[in-house]
Amino acid sequence: MNIDNIKKEFPIFDEKIQNNDLVYLDSANSSQKPKVVIDRINEFYTKEFSNVGRSIHYLAVAATNLYENTRSSVQKYINAKDKNEIVFTKGATEALNLVANTLGQKYLNEGDEILLTELEHHSNYVPWHYLRKSKNIKINFAEINEDGEIPIENIEKKITPKTKVIAINHLSNVTGAILPIKEITELAHAKDIIVVVDGCQGAPHLKLDVQDLGCDFYAISCHKMYGPTGLGILYGKKKWLEELPPYQGGGGMIKEVKKDRITYGDLPNKYEAGTMATAQVIAFDKSIKFLESIGIDNIIKHEKELIEYGQEILKKNNSVKLIGNPKNKGGVISFTIEGVHPHDIATILDEDGVAIRAGHHCCQILHDKLEIPASARASVGVYNTKSDFDQLNESINKCKKIFDLK
Amino acid sequence: MNLKELYQEIILEHGKNPRNLRKTENFNKDAKGNNPLCGDNVHVYLKLNNQRKVEDISFEGSGCAISMASASIMTDLIKGKSDNEAKEIIDDFLGMIKENPELKSSILEEDDKTKLMCLSGVKQYPMRVKCATLSWHTLISAMEDDGKQVSTED
Ligand SMILES: Cc1ncc(COP(=O)(O)O)c(C=O)c1O
Repeated sequence: MNIDNIKKEFPIFDEKIQNNDLVYLDSANSSQKPKVVIDRINEFYTKEFSNVGRSIHYLAVAATNLYENTRSSVQKYINAKDKNEIVFTKGATEALNLVANTLGQKYLNEGDEILLTELEHHSNYVPWHYLRKSKNIKINFAEINEDGEIPIENIEKKITPKTKVIAINHLSNVTGAILPIKEITELAHAKDIIVVVDGCQGAPHLKLDVQDLGCDFYAISCHKMYGPTGLGILYGKKKWLEELPPYQGGGGMIKEVKKDRITYGDLPNKYEAGTMATAQVIAFDKSIKFLESIGIDNIIKHEKELIEYGQEILKKNNSVKLIGNPKNKGGVISFTIEGVHPHDIATILDEDGVAIRAGHHCCQILHDKLEIPASARASVGVYNTKSDFDQLNESINKCKKIFDLK
Repeated sequence: MNLKELYQEIILEHGKNPRNLRKTENFNKDAKGNNPLCGDNVHVYLKLNNQRKVEDISFEGSGCAISMASASIMTDLIKGKSDNEAKEIIDDFLGMIKENPELKSSILEEDDKTKLMCLSGVKQYPMRVKCATLSWHTLISAMEDDGKQVSTED
């Protein structure tokens, strides 16, 4: 599929949003959905619906096969060694909670340390904070440098003999910095430290090979990957998923239930308690196929060009201050305008159909460090074009005019 | 939707040069409020004298033009009022933002009403209503001085 006219695969761009063409620059928050994915959900409910894994009637077997088929597609897409290393969750948030919770139950002890970075999303901090409360575990933060990156030295500096887990972002949803996961993992594994990666922004925009990265866990958010909401993926190395205890209890995850004892099912059922987001899982297969049909190399090239163009144009706009300047950067540009609060920017841009995000983007630690209460963020997906940044810039100029800035 | 109604001259001016943006010396009541959605935060300080009159009111914090202007106009209007008058004004303002087409309180001068009505533009922007009301909710909390932190997200 040719990326230059990929926009037409997304029905939302045929809509007028408050009488405007949509300029969607909020894909880091959630991506729009291609028609194939939307249609697949409809089709499944219309013609093929059944719950999976329980009944033996025709529809149930067919749905189960489809569900498992997505698992295999994900396995291939991220190059996991084993299909059972793919666990479906309700989102990346649940995936990270699962890891923190189960490591907390079985692996971590009082006084152990967890190393995060100042770039982490609240989803990769709050679940670990629970362990600070319940198990007296200490949390350390690797610092950003002035470009908004986390160089490996800054990780190394914060590792102590008590560090048991390093939990890090693959690609920052604020500065766009891409972290050197492979190198960090090599460093960590040499010291027997587990590496957990928040891959929310990495998975839709970078080439993924979890075996090459070497990390122990990798969390994915499907709704940012041109897929349905209510779905996430946890990749975990088999040895960990086998060794760690279950997260939630319920139907589907058990082997045998007696009044005095319960044994748990094998992978991947062990971590998929209750009725899962069946339609979403089945439709997500289309998201993967969609990404594959464009080709990740083309996506990377396209988004890199967009970001370079966007940065160039915004740098020329004298009121705009870009946040961070990472050498290795993904499709995110965060900025502030001196004298205009990000919330006001977002409202004014919205009037022109330009959808951005304003706030702290669930990264309050980072904003505190930068000593700003909030920022504005433009983030890209496969459907964006350079003209979206032209419109962004034009609307920013409108903000400046309203606020009487030069 | 109308940006001009949202960003009226008075709002922009108060947003840029907020009145009473400081900390009252010898304040005897205060409260903090925040809007976790956008990171706006405000700290309202009050000095109520023995006659239960607001001798001074001030605020610290940062936020968008709407929230700064709202806090600025609010502190301007509340200064010198009794606590009961203040409560009436607060109710009137929050009622107007929520549903009433205009302000009703007889305590407010026409001029004051005009200023407050400038904030009515947010009614068309549901996501921005909280920006206009945060400082007012925080003021209620300060007057009650219940030590609770006001949050626009429960
Ligand atoms: C870096 C990062 N981590 C975690 C999340 C949470 O993901 P989910 O919405 O799938 O729970 C997000 C998305 O908001 C994110 O950008």
